[in-house]
Parts: sequence; structure tokens; C-alpha cells
Amino acid sequence: MKISIQNLTKIFPSRTKGGKEVRAVDDMSIEIPSGKLVGLLGPSGCGKSTTLFMLSGLESPSSGKILFDEQDVTTLAPEKRGIGLVFQNYALYPHMTVEQNIRFPLDNMRIKKEEGNARALDAARLVQIEDLLARKPNELSGGQQQRVAIARALVKMPNVLLLDEPLSNLDARLRLQTREEIKRIQRETGITTVFVTHDQEEAMSICDIMVVMKLGVVQQIGEPQTIYDDPANLFVANFLGTPPINIFKGTIKGGKVYIGFEAIMKTDLPDQDVYVGIRPEGFIYEDNNRVRTNILTLDVDHIEVMGRDKSIVATHESSTKPTVRCIIDSDVALPKDADKLRFTLKPNKVFLFNAETEERIR
Amino acid sequence: MAKNPQDVSVELEQTTEEPTRKVRTPKFRNRNGKQVEADLVLNNGPQLSTGEKIKRFIKSQNGWMFMAPALILMILFSFYPIITAFINAFKNDLDMNGVYNGWGFDNFVHVFRGDTGMAGANFWQCLVNTLVFTLVSVPLSTLLALLISVALNSIKALQKAYQTILFLPYLTNSLAMGAVFATFFSVIRTGSGTNWGIINSLLGTQIDWMGLGNTWALGAINIPWAKYIVLIIYEVWTGLPFKILILFSALQSINKQYYDAAKVDGASRSTILWKITAPMISPQISYLLVTGIMGGMKQYTAVVGLFGANMGVAYDMGTMVGYIYRYVEGGTPKYGYAYAASLILFFIIMIITFINNKVTKRHTTYK
Repeated sequence: MKISIQNLTKIFPSRTKGGKEVRAVDDMSIEIPSGKLVGLLGPSGCGKSTTLFMLSGLESPSSGKILFDEQDVTTLAPEKRGIGLVFQNYALYPHMTVEQNIRFPLDNMRIKKEEGNARALDAARLVQIEDLLARKPNELSGGQQQRVAIARALVKMPNVLLLDEPLSNLDARLRLQTREEIKRIQRETGITTVFVTHDQEEAMSICDIMVVMKLGVVQQIGEPQTIYDDPANLFVANFLGTPPINIFKGTIKGGKVYIGFEAIMKTDLPDQDVYVGIRPEGFIYEDNNRVRTNILTLDVDHIEVMGRDKSIVATHESSTKPTVRCIIDSDVALPKDADKLRFTLKPNKVFLFNAETEERIR
Repeated sequence: MAKNPQDVSVELEQTTEEPTRKVRTPKFRNRNGKQVEADLVLNNGPQLSTGEKIKRFIKSQNGWMFMAPALILMILFSFYPIITAFINAFKNDLDMNGVYNGWGFDNFVHVFRGDTGMAGANFWQCLVNTLVFTLVSVPLSTLLALLISVALNSIKALQKAYQTILFLPYLTNSLAMGAVFATFFSVIRTGSGTNWGIINSLLGTQIDWMGLGNTWALGAINIPWAKYIVLIIYEVWTGLPFKILILFSALQSINKQYYDAAKVDGASRSTILWKITAPMISPQISYLLVTGIMGGMKQYTAVVGLFGANMGVAYDMGTMVGYIYRYVEGGTPKYGYAYAASLILFFIIMIITFINNKVTKRHTTYK
């Protein structure tokens, strides 16, 4: 099912008298194509969960519209929207067995017992918990509980599946496994799925479409790789990628981009102050001292060997962060005990941002 | 050499003197897996004087000292009376002076047969009354308390005010409340005729609610079970505040996400109440049922408050405790019967509680 969100806004009144109201979601408009896995990504408090709850109908928008296909569902009750919702802490009923939990939505729809049993079993098979049906939720591990919650959301064959921070309660290994699982289930069922996360790696790895949000405002929408390679502003560039992008204060003067006294690249942009963002993988070690142009010199703090590659932890006086990180191939030989290292830069890994608006300069 | 068997050091020397007895040296494996013998010095500690030993023993019993105050009080006021009651129940026809006719089951036989030589207070009547009051009023007031708590939990405005009002009866003396209830239901002779009481006026009836057989009240309708209704209404009413307090606080601790999940899953209001809310607070519900039934079986003041010290007409509204008290304070007290009856009550409560636990355990989910 196609979802279109039009000018959606949610304002929470202030708790204290005379305090400021909170715009949790501000004039949000996105189109979500049918059958895609969409991730709402942003730091906490950016309105991504509020958006999800408005899609589910548990929160009602202050203004704006939500359409499922062509049907306006903005004021429709949650149970009439045909959605499945998986809560952050699963909200499995502790007094019911796994089977009763999964069957619960079907029982409310007054579906016949045999059909209900068959559908519950199908849903359980899909998430591979068919041998846990007689257990109670507190006898399950976190990952298993997560699967039960997904089965309960899927059993009523929803048009839209909504997941609120689905992986945040799992340990690191299980997280990797479960995100593959979510991707598989989404692909097998073909249900339009929206999930919320603050973990950019998680979003990048499984999303078809990613929506990056900040303080209730959508920053950028697109495929994960596109957003990573072509961030719209400093916030998006900063939020995506581990280790995060390096940001330097720089200037454009006479057709050259300067960081400190060094000109790192040519440009045809007019003179101005800029932020220069350089991805950690955008550095190339330059061992030839005679190369004088387009060089950035960093003060090396230490070098971490990661096996596949080396991570150089360095400092630079123009950097906005305490350290600069460069990731280079482990085959590259680096001089031992060097205080300073010189790098050339990969042009497609360097982004320029307006110093005031923090918008990307292209 | 001193052959004192209590002396530890002497015993040790003996073992070394006997060549046939092997002293086991503990063996350990070293890092390479090779067995090595540990250098072991047997140390049995310093030699202690008797006084020191006693001191150390007392010190090692510190735990008891901490428990002593509670333990002494419990022995004095709980265990001693229970054991005495057990013993005295088997002293035939024990009277207030401690005189009895040998040992046996006479007290129980007299209690069961009713030939106690004292008017009124029939054991079986009192037992049935108690069971009826308890088994009707406790579940009823728990159910009502649940509904009221859920209602209270779902309103926002004036929640605290309602909570306070609902809790007020708990602070009120039960005898006073009984007297007020009695006034509501009573039929009173006045100078000009008959005052039918507030309840009759509201209902437009002329029912002799209290069943006191007021023959002077012309046209009074006598319904035998009417006074049971009065008592049950009273019991339910006075039982509510505490139950609401417990259930309401239990409700407030339920995570809101369960309700959100139920809403998304299309559960109706009644499904949410009976399939989600009630099971979630089942530990509190079963606690209220168990303690409520225990308390109900020991009911006394409510009946006295409503129907007077004679518990209706000649103890026809009597309870088990009322029955027991009759033989403690009556004209010539018969302690033996009172002991026997309290022992019976003790076992009845125990059996009911046991069944209650078995039943509620099956339906209770602890998180």
C-alpha cells in the first residue's frame, strides 16, 4: 500500500503555563511507494516516533493529512487502518502464551478458530518461532520476544507494518541477525514497512528508502547510499557514517578551498567561509614530499590497526571535532613515529557547506 | 602425655603416633598437569578457654538476638494462645474457672449438636450465615472495586478528589457505620404512626429490612432474606475503599503500551478490561480475595453494628466469631465450647484459604 504524508504537523502543548509548545513534527510531506522498507532516522527527540504513532492512529495530527493509497485515514481509528505495530519493548501480554498473543488480533476480529489457528501458525513459521507457541513471554529471550511481536503484527495481514525502534532492546549480535530477519520478512510478505531508528548503520543496512529527520523537520529523503554520497546539509553528513565525517572550518579564496594555510582543492565557487566535510575514507596518504599542491597535513596522535584497514587518529587546528579520523588500506606503508602525515583527498568524499546555513554548496 | 579426648592438639599427636593410619596430604596439579603435594600445616587455631568458647558461641548466635524481640512477642501473643486453644478445646465442658470433665471430643459434639445449654446461637446457623456473607460480599465488592478503579483510572479531572471520597469510609469506625446503615433501613415507631425509614421511602416499599419482627408496624412486608441484603450491602460498601486503593495503584503501574497495542489490535473495551487489565493486576485481585475471605470469615463488628449485640433476633444473624464470643461473655461462660468453635473456624479458614490459593494461582500471572 502506498502511503502519502501531506504537510503533517504535530504540536504538543507546553506542560508548564506560559511555556513553549513543542513542534514534534513540522510540516512533513513524504510519499512512500508500495512494498518498500522505509526507515525514519534521526537523533532522539526528532519526531520520528511521533510520526510513526500518527501513522498508526495512536496519536492524532495537529494538521496535515495521511493517505493510505487514495484513502484519507487521518482521523481513522487505529484498528480500522489495517496496520500492524511493533512496539519498542514489544508490549507482549505477559499472562498469555505466545500463541494467545499472536491470536489476540484475530480473536478481536472474530475469526473462526480453525482459520485463526492456521494463520497464527503461518505467522509463527514466518518468524521461525513455531516451536515456542506454548511458552509465556517471560520464558523467551529478547530476540524471541521481538519475533513474537512481529508475528502478532503480521497475523492480521496488515497493509502497513510499523516498527518502533525494533532493534534497540537487543544485544549487538542479535541486532545484526534481526535486521536481516526484518529485511527478509519484509521482502517475503511485500508489506509496506516503516520503521523508526536512531542508529544510522541499522537504517543504512536494510532500508530501501531512508528519511533523515531533525527537530521535527525532514532533512533528506532517498536511498541510503545516495544520501551518504550526496548529503543535503551538514547535519545529514554528520549523522551518517561510522566513524563520522570530519568537519573543518575552511575558506574559499581565489578559486581554491583552504583549510588553515593549505589549499586542498580547486573550486569555481565565489570567495566565502565554508565548512569542509571529509569522509574518513576520503584520505590518500602522500609519501612524496615533492608534491606541494592539494595537500592536507595532519598531526598524528596514534594509529589503530583494525586488520582490514588502518585508522589514523589525528588532530588539526581547524577541525571542529577534537580528533580527525582517516581510514586507509592496511597495505599502505606508513612511516613509523611520524608526527605529521600528508594526505591528498578524494574529491567525491569532500563536501562543502555554507558556514551560516550549513546547507550543502554544490 | 595428657589423654584428654576433648583436647584437639592431643588427638592430632595420636594420629601421628599410629603408623597404620595414613594422613592424607591433599594433592594438587601444577601448571604442567603434574601432581604435586602441597605443603600443608594443620592449624586448628588457638587453644580456647571455656569462657572464651562461651563468648564465641554467644557471638555466633547473633542472628537470634536480632530476631528475639519479634520472636518473643510472637511466642507470647500468637503461638501460646493458639496452642492453648488447641489444648483447651479438648478439655470437656471447660468452664470459666478452669474446671473440666476429663479429655475428649465432648465440646465438639455439643457444639455440633447444639445442646450447649445456652439459648440462641446455633452453630450451624452461624456457620451458614458466615459463609453466605463472605462468599457473596467479598467477590461482589472486589468486582465493584475493580470497575470503580478502572473508571477512576480513566478520568482525569477530579481524580484525586474522587479517590479521597471513596477512601473516606475506610477511616470511619465500623460500628458507627453500622449504626448509620441501621438507621437507613430501620422501621421506627413514632408518635403519629410508623416511620418507614429512608430506604423504604426511596423505594416506596414497606419492607421490614432489619427483620426485627416489628409486629406493631402495620402493613410491614416480612422478607426473610431482606436482612441478609442489608448486611451484604454494608459489607460491600465498607470493603470497597481498601480494595479500590489497592487496585487503583495497581492499575496505574500498568504500562500504557499494552493498551496501545490492544487498541491497534482492535480489542473492544470489555476485551481490554477482562483480557488485559484484569489479568495484569491478577496478583492484587487474588490478594484481595484471599485476605477478604479470611477477614469475612472472622466478621463480627458489622453484625453487631447493624443488628445489635444479640445479632438480630436470638442470633439469627450470628457469625462464627459471634458464636464464639457468646460462650465467652454469656451468663455462665463455657470456654470449652468457645475453644472448640474457634478451632473449627481455624480449620475452615485454613481449608478455604488453601482452596483459594490453588484456584487463584492458576489464574494469576506474576511478572
